[in-house]
Amino acid sequence: MKSAVSREASTPLDTTDSLTPTLRRKRKKGVAGYAFVSGYFVLLILFGVLPAAYAIVLAFTASGGHFTGLTNFIKTGEDFRFLPAFENVGKYLLIWLGSLVVIVLGLALMLHSIARRVSAAFRFIFYLPGALAGAASVLVWLFMLDPTVSPWRLFLGVFGFKNLGQTILPGHLPLIFAIIAFWAGAGGWIVVTYGALNNIPNELIEAAQLDGAGAIQTALRIKLPLIKKWIVFMLILAFAAGTQLFVEPQLVGEASLGLISPTWSPNELAYYFAFQDNNFNYAAAISVDLLVIGLLCAAVLVFRTKLFEVE
Amino acid sequence: MAPVSLEKLTKVYPNGFEAVHEFDLEVADGEFMILVGPSGCGKTTAMRMVAGLEEITSGTLRINGEIMNDVSPRDRDIAMVFQNYALYPHMTVGENIGFALKMKHTPKSEIEKKVRETTEILGLTEWIDLKPGQLSGGQRQRVAMGRAIVREPKVFLMDEPLSNLDAKLRVQMRAEVARIQRRLGVATIYVTHDQVEAMTMGDRVAVMRAGLVLQCDKPQTIYDHPLNLFVAGFMGSPSMNLFEARLGEGATTLFLGTQKVELPPTVLSAKPALGRFANAEVVVGIRPESLAVAGTATGERTEDLVFFEGDVDLVEALGSEILVHFSTDAHRVEAEGMYSDDAEGLDAGSITQRGEGVARVSPETQLVIGEHVRLQVNPKRLFFFDPVTGLALNG
Amino acid sequence: MRLFNRIWSRTFSYIILLAFTAFFVVPVIWLLFAPFKTDHNLVFENPFALGTLGNLFHAAHVMFTFEDYALLNWLKNSAIYSFGGIAIALICSIPAGYGLAHTQFIGRRTLLGVTLFVMIMPATALVLPLFLEANAVHAVGTPLAVILPFSFFPFGVYLAYIFYSSSVPKDLLAAARIDGCNEWDVFRRIALPLARPIIALVTFFAFVANWNNFFLPFVMLPNSSNYPLPIGLQDLLSATPAFNPGQGGQVPIYRPELAIATIVAMAPVMIVFLFAQRSLVSGLLAGATKE
Ligand SMILES: Nc1ncnc2c1ncn2[C@@H]1O[C@H](COP(=O)(O)OP(=O)(O)OP(=O)(O)O)[C@@H](O)[C@H]1O
Ligand SMILES: [Mg+2]
Repeated sequence: MKSAVSREASTPLDTTDSLTPTLRRKRKKGVAGYAFVSGYFVLLILFGVLPAAYAIVLAFTASGGHFTGLTNFIKTGEDFRFLPAFENVGKYLLIWLGSLVVIVLGLALMLHSIARRVSAAFRFIFYLPGALAGAASVLVWLFMLDPTVSPWRLFLGVFGFKNLGQTILPGHLPLIFAIIAFWAGAGGWIVVTYGALNNIPNELIEAAQLDGAGAIQTALRIKLPLIKKWIVFMLILAFAAGTQLFVEPQLVGEASLGLISPTWSPNELAYYFAFQDNNFNYAAAISVDLLVIGLLCAAVLVFRTKLFEVE
Repeated sequence: MAPVSLEKLTKVYPNGFEAVHEFDLEVADGEFMILVGPSGCGKTTAMRMVAGLEEITSGTLRINGEIMNDVSPRDRDIAMVFQNYALYPHMTVGENIGFALKMKHTPKSEIEKKVRETTEILGLTEWIDLKPGQLSGGQRQRVAMGRAIVREPKVFLMDEPLSNLDAKLRVQMRAEVARIQRRLGVATIYVTHDQVEAMTMGDRVAVMRAGLVLQCDKPQTIYDHPLNLFVAGFMGSPSMNLFEARLGEGATTLFLGTQKVELPPTVLSAKPALGRFANAEVVVGIRPESLAVAGTATGERTEDLVFFEGDVDLVEALGSEILVHFSTDAHRVEAEGMYSDDAEGLDAGSITQRGEGVARVSPETQLVIGEHVRLQVNPKRLFFFDPVTGLALNG
Repeated sequence: MRLFNRIWSRTFSYIILLAFTAFFVVPVIWLLFAPFKTDHNLVFENPFALGTLGNLFHAAHVMFTFEDYALLNWLKNSAIYSFGGIAIALICSIPAGYGLAHTQFIGRRTLLGVTLFVMIMPATALVLPLFLEANAVHAVGTPLAVILPFSFFPFGVYLAYIFYSSSVPKDLLAAARIDGCNEWDVFRRIALPLARPIIALVTFFAFVANWNNFFLPFVMLPNSSNYPLPIGLQDLLSATPAFNPGQGGQVPIYRPELAIATIVAMAPVMIVFLFAQRSLVSGLLAGATKE
């Protein structure tokens, strides 16, 4: 140690570099990492973790703030609007997910078997209505479903619908929302599915053809099994999003002259509890129900599929 | 005072893996130091510790006498050329080369001047406004060099800088890098897998294995006097033939499998240590170029030569020479991890089979596969190793 | 026989594809045509008949001047909320993706895992909890109550993380360090300029998500002057006699006017879609496939 010091002291710096040992910065460990993620971390806490935590606290307490255990969950669960709301969403999901599997896969397979250029045009057209997600898509479909103005009026007439009120009867809503969701959302999924199909090595498909499989055989026995994980991915994400239905029943309800319940979906029910009944604890309980569903879906995707490997 | 000195440098990765163990190395002023060793032996790790990109677990690193262990990379005054060049894709050639100067707040005019000089040295002037994506592999390599030399650093670090080039460019750049290094006279540590680079470019070569330096010396010294089995097998391509053998009574005979080879007394007198191995197992090593087909005129007296026999498995005519792959009934010896990834592929397929060897013979030799062949070698050129410790039996 | 089968199945494919093309585009075309007609035209004429420019001007005039230019106000609000959210989202998510990919710190893997979780979870699930939180700090009704939640965009962090870990080699950053950069310089001079495509991608996705978001502003902003477009649309819908005959006469908003409002609401996203189609689609895949 001593020799090192004396060596440094006795040797004049023989380079033009003006830095002296004391000026040299020590390497910092790990600090930079925290700095880079800090902004996002704050947002994550404030707008991801805290609200969820706060909702959980509210869900387990009464308006006075004391702990009530599962009371809020039981009370909301026993509410006469609770089951119908989940039933409505359940029916809607059944149709929407079914159409995703059958139609989206079917269309993606068809697109995959035709010329690339043509299929690109189709994909873009199918994807385009995605721009009208949310309120705009509902409005467009209110027009489409109104037999007095709809370009599909002949088609609607076949079913005997004479005015909007008849098309948007409460019993029709799960199907209607599924159509809207499909119109605005299917294109994106077709693009994803098509991309997954494109990732299948060409040799594999050629090998199947040499083995004597026709187009349909190849699709069913080779392509579908190979993109299975994407189908699961699509279904889980669509399911998670579908449970959160809000804007569609809200807007269609607006146009239905009160025929449609303002608590058609669970989110609407939660909203109703919060704003009509001023019962934040009940609202929180339903939010936690939905949160748990969302978390479960995420957990299945993260832990059960290998789609989101981080490093 | 050496520009770079590594004293017992050790790296233990967070997962507990010790990639470099008590690495000692002194690089003198202007010296070109080559690091070779099989894949995964810790060359890159050692180099990154010198660069400051990897924390030093223990030991001392000095650059120009100053302890650098905890100094951040940007203050070490070193330049590095990466295997994949690591050029900034969003900057032009000029900006890439001038970046380090800019970070030192060098005045603009001076940056420009230095960048221009550098591009002239490297013949890059034409491409100064292009981005790396628009350059060929060789040009990119030059930019990477330019980025290093423009800084006039205390030390150059180069990690397999030529390995991404095709064979021809590699030969060309090999000479160019060596030339530039001589001209600038900057101490250099250069990692390579390439035998030719290792032999030709450096002043000294350090052969590494599993985190340890086994031998560090002038390339020819290492080639002629490898300290142990591993270095013997690693340096040279095709690599040295190593066979299990037995020395007979008085170490005057050598049994190669079932063949008996008489050793002249000069062998024992040159390597008295062999005496200790009389009637014992040894490993005998023969460089492929020391072998010839019996009867070939090699300028050596026939009575000085010894002979043994084998079967020809494969004949590779390379134009200037012929590689004869043969097999004998003596077991072949392999030092663990001896062959690097890209060991020129010459005998990669047959390497694991026992008793195989390679001879490098003159192109006039006529041989047929399957032929029984008598090979000759001057016993002076035989290497002997202790089969237990792997150490060369020289003294 | 084989050939016949092939032709037949190909024809069948095209028929199906064209049918779905009609399903996807007819509503859009109808919507674009509607403002050229009067409400009366819409009911009594061929749905694809062309209208007149005069009708368009009339409807546009009515719609834009409605309630003291409410539509423009909503448009402005939508822009403020969307871009405000995007700005903060970018400022936070690009460095975060970089930090997750290229620095070491305690808790990195946990943060990555949590990000994955909240990214997959539908954002709507947090709306009411967010409202409850905002209500607790008396932030309901302020633009920040929408902008700040918008700025939390874990998908952006994930995209940036995937980009940095797959497309920016560690050696490149090491080279910058050796060239004299400190950690901040490495990010600002090397990593950030390289992230340009990913910045565009995050902007697009965040924009589409923010612009179309209904539920969050719906609960956070009770005041009509603060509405973004989607809520404004609902407001129009509840007031128009077209869907609510009871409202007859009070509001001059009929279907052509409503169609204009809808077009105004969707136009920005549609423009983004048209211009960014390629990168949006590839981003959709990048987000999905990681390779
Ligand atoms: N970050 C790390 N964590 C744990 N082990 C590592 C890490 N980086 C490298 N190693 C291990 O350390 C050893 C040495 O790696 P290093 O990259 O130095 O080898 P190398 O000699 O440069 O090999 P090559 O010739 O293939 O480039 C290897 O076995 C490697 O697996
Ligand atoms: Mg290496």
